[in-house]
Amino acid sequence: MQTILSIAVDAFAYGMVLFVISIGLSVTMGLMKVVNLAHGAFAMMGGYLAAFATHQLGVPYGVAIVVAVAGTVLAAVPLERWLYRRIYGAPELTQVLMTIGVTFVIIGVANYVMGPSLKTIPLPAALEGPVDIGFRSIAAHKLFAVATGLIVAGALWVLIERTAFGVKLRASVDNAAMAGALGVRTKIVYAVSFAAAVGLAALGGVVGAQLLPIEPHYALRYMVTFLVVVSVGGAGSIPGALLACLLLGAVETTGRYLMPEFGEFFFYLAVIAIVCLFPHGLLGRAG
Amino acid sequence: MTDAVLKARSVAGPARARRSAAVDAVAVLFIVAAAAFLYFFFPGSLALFTRMIAIMLLALSLDLVTGFAGIATLGHAALFGAGAYAAGILASKFGLTDPFAMLGIGAVAGALAGTVSSLVILRGRGLGQLVLSIAIVQLAHEAANKLSAWTGGSDGLSGIVPAPVFGLFRFDLWGRTAFILAVAILLVAFVVLRVIVRSPFGMLCRGIKQDPIRVSAMGAPVYGTLVKLYAIAGAVAGLGGALSAIATKVVGLDSLSFTLSAEALVMLVLGGVGKLFGALLGTFVFIWFEHLVSAINPFHWLTIVGAMLIAVVLFEPKGLTGALEALWKRARGGEG
Amino acid sequence: MKKLALLTLALAMSSGVAVADTIKIGVVGPFSGPAALQGRNFQAGIDAWLALHGNKIGNNTIEIVYRDLPAADPAKSAAVTRDLIVGEGVQYLAGYYYTPDAMAAAPILVEGNVPMVVFNAATSAIMNASPYVVRTSFTTWQTSTPMASVARERGIKKAITVVTDYGPGVDAESAFVKGFKDAGGEIVASVRMPMNTNDFSPIMQRIKDSGAEAVFAFLPSGPATLGFMKSFAENGLRKAGVTLLAPGDLTQESDLPALRDSALGTLTTFHYAVSHDSQENKAFVEAASKAIGDPANLSFPAVGAYDGMYVISKMIEATGGKQDAKAAVEAVKGLSWTSPRGPVTINPQNRHITQNIYLREVAEDNGKYINKEIRTFEKQGDPGWKAP
Repeated sequence: MQTILSIAVDAFAYGMVLFVISIGLSVTMGLMKVVNLAHGAFAMMGGYLAAFATHQLGVPYGVAIVVAVAGTVLAAVPLERWLYRRIYGAPELTQVLMTIGVTFVIIGVANYVMGPSLKTIPLPAALEGPVDIGFRSIAAHKLFAVATGLIVAGALWVLIERTAFGVKLRASVDNAAMAGALGVRTKIVYAVSFAAAVGLAALGGVVGAQLLPIEPHYALRYMVTFLVVVSVGGAGSIPGALLACLLLGAVETTGRYLMPEFGEFFFYLAVIAIVCLFPHGLLGRAG
Repeated sequence: MTDAVLKARSVAGPARARRSAAVDAVAVLFIVAAAAFLYFFFPGSLALFTRMIAIMLLALSLDLVTGFAGIATLGHAALFGAGAYAAGILASKFGLTDPFAMLGIGAVAGALAGTVSSLVILRGRGLGQLVLSIAIVQLAHEAANKLSAWTGGSDGLSGIVPAPVFGLFRFDLWGRTAFILAVAILLVAFVVLRVIVRSPFGMLCRGIKQDPIRVSAMGAPVYGTLVKLYAIAGAVAGLGGALSAIATKVVGLDSLSFTLSAEALVMLVLGGVGKLFGALLGTFVFIWFEHLVSAINPFHWLTIVGAMLIAVVLFEPKGLTGALEALWKRARGGEG
Repeated sequence: MKKLALLTLALAMSSGVAVADTIKIGVVGPFSGPAALQGRNFQAGIDAWLALHGNKIGNNTIEIVYRDLPAADPAKSAAVTRDLIVGEGVQYLAGYYYTPDAMAAAPILVEGNVPMVVFNAATSAIMNASPYVVRTSFTTWQTSTPMASVARERGIKKAITVVTDYGPGVDAESAFVKGFKDAGGEIVASVRMPMNTNDFSPIMQRIKDSGAEAVFAFLPSGPATLGFMKSFAENGLRKAGVTLLAPGDLTQESDLPALRDSALGTLTTFHYAVSHDSQENKAFVEAASKAIGDPANLSFPAVGAYDGMYVISKMIEATGGKQDAKAAVEAVKGLSWTSPRGPVTINPQNRHITQNIYLREVAEDNGKYINKEIRTFEKQGDPGWKAP
């Protein structure tokens, strides 16, 4: 019993970490209809900035997160202006080509500037070490990731479903010309959404760095994971992404515990089963 | 058979067929000329070109499903790897080393893998389809890793010693035999695919890409057609895998990887989707460019390759064949 | 570019004598991609050797030609290797990080009349793929086997093995299980983890539930080791007194700054520690640190490359610069010298390096984390090699 509970806690925590890291991609892919394979590259950029801020500038963890998010968003503004704006509404395959190109460049630059070794983001004392939760202990940084994930999920849901901006965003995506005619400045809406998605990527990169360590190949290493969880959830659906992360996190964690040697089989068979049952993802909208 | 087919036939009138045949002849001549040029002027890099042709077959196969039937996939290497492992296992474990036997089994294994994976992939739509294809290639990769008694696992399947072609031409150090064999296979595959693409069957596939519901309303079997197309694509990719096994003499897990699948897709899009020739051009340019810059700077070449991809999207969103067509049109317009 | 190279080659050939002096060594390694750090170490080892010994051997000048092979990709390896032999005209091949890449290059060597010195790829069977392969690194069997007796001597009766599910992981598992059982220990479970494991908590739960006193772990050096070690500490296994044993891949020096305290006290067996105390190593570390830029990035592949360069230099001396692979390989069979890692010999039978394997403990030394050698197993061969 205790083991089951223990595995459940691990699964939940892992699922939430997955959620924090990949939710930004759900925004770009689902709401902006851009297959942004460079999502991992932005997460990595955030991780590097946080590592740099803590090690070189000596700022505390909380400030480092802000620096990472702000810095990555700043770096992404020109990318949006000159590169991404050209591929909004373009065929998916063109977007794949462009965003893979962006990923390659960012990897190359990271390798050149930061070197090929692992970078860590030192945690504050409060997040270091295990926390006792009654029947077992769990790493404090995982609890932090869980909390971050819940806050992000809530905030995003409110933003998209309950605010004027959310209405504009959904309108711009569904029919940019019509939204423009109604006075929505679609360019700005897109730019802001892109910045938000990139900021989320950076946040995820920092918060998830304890499980997915920052190194130049990060951007490609976890690309499959991000793509899978977002698509299984149904791109653009915040509750869908959350559900998918928790479900796949549970499958992976249980698989790794019960039969680790067949762990990958469990994971991908579950993916196939889910997509066959829900061709548009768990909570995705058709079309 | 069906209205769609009849309609397709009437569109492809005799004049048009003659013109397409002429285009085919030009394309074949062009490939032969290019191959001869490479053979004589870059004799030291024939192994590179052989590898290129193996991947061209993968890209051609990918173009068949993506470009002509609109199926998005990031797992196409599963078919390539099936061919490579089938050929490799046949040679190393069963001692059947005749290159044509290896190519044959590679094509068959590829077609089988194509059929099986199509049964899964066709169940998804859009992103779902993409993810199903990823799941398939990852499962295949994991299975090959587990079955190390047969596949050599992560150490690779070695001990493949292909017999001389026709019992006469052995596989030499310079890779001349492998290269000529590869060019021959490529020509055959290319011409056969051109014919298939233009056939009523090919037209039907294109129709499905544009509007599957309408095609099925006209009474044509959408699902069955796509499965058939996937089997053909699998045979082509499997041929590429077998060729790679023959030329390399080792088969590794990379031949079944997401990375190879994604790279093939990038090469195809780079060249231009839905044109067959784009698959060849994109593969050639990507691998050649990568080879060139990575030889100049083995440490930081990735940045340049990335920049090239971005530049292509910015200046030639239709891919390199799109650029060539535009040039061609402009030149014709200039004359007239 | 290419044509120019061909042209110069043709010109060079026509002027005969002048060129016979330059001997090209083709080095194939992961200079970009996930293992770029290890490739960088190849380069550092080579540069260190050139800095300490110069690029002249007798009348011959050596020139290094680098080729990138970012991942295990035999088809690319075969293409790159042929390109080096027939296109660039290299007389020696070196490097090769991954086993399949070395395997793909091996069948070409005899026909190409080129010896290959493997700087890293660590599967025993490579030595049987061609008579012209010499290896200056290690095998996973070689580094893992002594750990079994260490565990037994420390009074551990029950152990669990946890390895990444791929070739080297299986090698490490087999080596440890065999040694441990032979010494009278009990293996309570053997867990193989998928390559893409990000969260190691469930694995730690397995270890906890197994009731083992020690865990023998193998993971490829790199990002996964960080998650594993952190998880080991965070899930309370260290506190519960479970001993962590591993071959040195888990605690390679370039990962230690990231692992920090979570690695402290980990016992590993390996062929080389950057902290090894000897005159030769001091000189090597100084030169290699300069070559790699950031000394914290220095790790074991550098010493494989450095010693590989020594072997190649001996080959060139023995053949007087003439391309004769057979004579070159014969010349280094049985060769003994003092490497930065200690005394080593090329085993004349399988051309693999016989060397000391050290038991080390991760320790803090002036704010730096090091692998501190605490015991030596002398003259270890490769227990995983079987005569073909």
